[in-house]
Amino acid sequence: MSGTNGAGGASPEFVKYHFRHAIGGFFEFPTANARKILPPHLHPVEPHHGQSVFSVMAFDFHKSMAGEYGELILSVLVMPRVEPGALLPRSAFYPFLLGTTTKAARDHAIARWHLPHFMENIDLAFDARADEIRIAAAHGGRPIIDMRITDYDWEQVSHRYQCFMHDADGSYMSTIVMDADFSENEEERGDITIHPHAFTAAIDRDSVNTMPFRELWMRDGLQTFHPLETLATAAV
Amino acid sequence: MATRISSTMPPGPQPSVAAAPPGGIADFDYSNFYYSSSDDIFAIFDPYNEWWYGHARNNGYYLYSQPMSTPPGPRIDLEEQMGHERLHLLNLASYNYLGLSYHPEVIDAAKQALDQYGLGAAGSPILSGTMEIHVQLEKAIAKFKQKDAAMVFPTGYSTNVGLISALMRPGDWVIMDQNVHASIVDGAILSKANVRFFRHNRPDDLEKKLSGTSGKRLVIVEGVYSMDGDEARLPEIVEVAKRHDARIMIDEAHSSFLYGKAGRGVAEKYGVEDDIDIHVGTFSKALGGMGGFVAGSQSLYNYLMGFARSRVFSCALAPAVSAGVLQALHIAEREPQLRETLWSNVAHMRGLLAEAGIDVGESTSQIIPIMIRNDRKIFGIARALQRAGLYLQPIIYPAVAKNRSRFRISISAVHTSQQLDEAATILSDVLQAEGMR
Repeated sequence: MSGTNGAGGASPEFVKYHFRHAIGGFFEFPTANARKILPPHLHPVEPHHGQSVFSVMAFDFHKSMAGEYGELILSVLVMPRVEPGALLPRSAFYPFLLGTTTKAARDHAIARWHLPHFMENIDLAFDARADEIRIAAAHGGRPIIDMRITDYDWEQVSHRYQCFMHDADGSYMSTIVMDADFSENEEERGDITIHPHAFTAAIDRDSVNTMPFRELWMRDGLQTFHPLETLATAAV
Repeated sequence: MATRISSTMPPGPQPSVAAAPPGGIADFDYSNFYYSSSDDIFAIFDPYNEWWYGHARNNGYYLYSQPMSTPPGPRIDLEEQMGHERLHLLNLASYNYLGLSYHPEVIDAAKQALDQYGLGAAGSPILSGTMEIHVQLEKAIAKFKQKDAAMVFPTGYSTNVGLISALMRPGDWVIMDQNVHASIVDGAILSKANVRFFRHNRPDDLEKKLSGTSGKRLVIVEGVYSMDGDEARLPEIVEVAKRHDARIMIDEAHSSFLYGKAGRGVAEKYGVEDDIDIHVGTFSKALGGMGGFVAGSQSLYNYLMGFARSRVFSCALAPAVSAGVLQALHIAEREPQLRETLWSNVAHMRGLLAEAGIDVGESTSQIIPIMIRNDRKIFGIARALQRAGLYLQPIIYPAVAKNRSRFRISISAVHTSQQLDEAATILSDVLQAEGMR
């Protein structure tokens, strides 16, 4: 597997998305479940043997080339790609399903980043309080996910991640840099309810704990996508 | 404070412990370098070395593996690795719970064995490596644990790896507390059995994780957990496991020779020894040597003799160490007052820490975590403690959860009240100076 810059029809500029809140919860779930979701060339990280990491993230974007919108992302954490001379990412993830509150945002992300989407608008409500934030995601009045994330110490960060994509056209990767006020903890104070819904059908809900082992919260931040790279892999 | 800090070597550059700016390599830890995909095995070396030499080492990781030039007693000498100063420190970091690693009788026994047997066993225990001292040690451990038989392994790590991989097979189930030692996890991985972790010390979650399993099941817990110093909720865990007809294994690495009226461990304390199928312990903690053991039935012993590959394919425990450990066991049995002194010291230290308002988490044992709960500050505090004359090891993510950083105190029977008073004073003063109290 190797990367080639600028392929896949992407223009080379960096694409910026400004957000009020970005929150995430990490949950252990069986690696067998992760393997069913991941394309063959990606491999899950395992915090415990046989247990991979399922991530739920939600963004509240207020300024971007797709306008203002909310986004719910289900991902599996995967092994990052290490290239000689390249900066090492903090972690890497494979988003296997995104939901957006607008069609414009969905069309943009599919065309630009090859990200797999739930093809109808979802509702995504953020309720930020002094020391915790709640999200409620729903579709057509039916709940998808409710999640509560708590805060810890806050600090300004610039974090680098790798985002892997895979669709019928090929396999891709983009570096994403997150600049924001950041809080992270493993205090196990948050919680999640994953409702039965087509959006969550890929996850064995009974195997996911009701509290995240890690909680992340970024506020007043900037998400920057680096140019898309097409990955040459025999497993496409 | 009476702590003396001497410099016997020219001082070198002092390490920087100022909080590094967030972002980039300052945010990394060991977990960032474990998983990577690449076309070259060695591709991870450059980023790792950039992190290690560019940030981690200078900002606190140099405090690990500082070479000691004395026995692991209450006061030790070591060479600090940045300025190469030789430091004389009050030691609360060693596992030497009964102070037996340098007991004169232990040293004498080891010396005699060295004269009799030479340095190494020169063979696998199943071939030419078994010597009379090994047989004596196994019989003594079996008698002490009140079991039919006991098998000695070269290390505690190889004990768990060899034991679990000998018994469990693909399709079986190993269900273990999420905080068990890496050797237990590695043994389960090597066995290729299905693995489930239950939430730490939660019998209700064990019940959940056992449900839906069938066939051979092995539930594994520890007597005392090494990072938090808390005891297993053994009676409840045993009840759940037995109701599901699962076999039970306990690793009493940090509780053997310490807990219970006779010192047999946490299982003795709770009166469930006979309900537990496999008892594991180490010689490297309370007995001050090295090696590990499995105690149980003669049938278990016989099977492990053939299939515990970490033992079959290793050289036997060094005879001198075996003799020293055997003598340490005799002393531990002969002098129960050592355990009484240990627990008296533990109570004394707990009182001092409580009086100072220092957070010790959930500990109930001789392992007392000093909870810092700040991954960025802990190395600065560790350096300040060392400069003030106290040797403690910082424990950070990924060894513990993020922001559950702590110092791990190991109390010993050979600490004096005055030494514990001194340690508590240093801790209190440094934590106050660092804004942690």
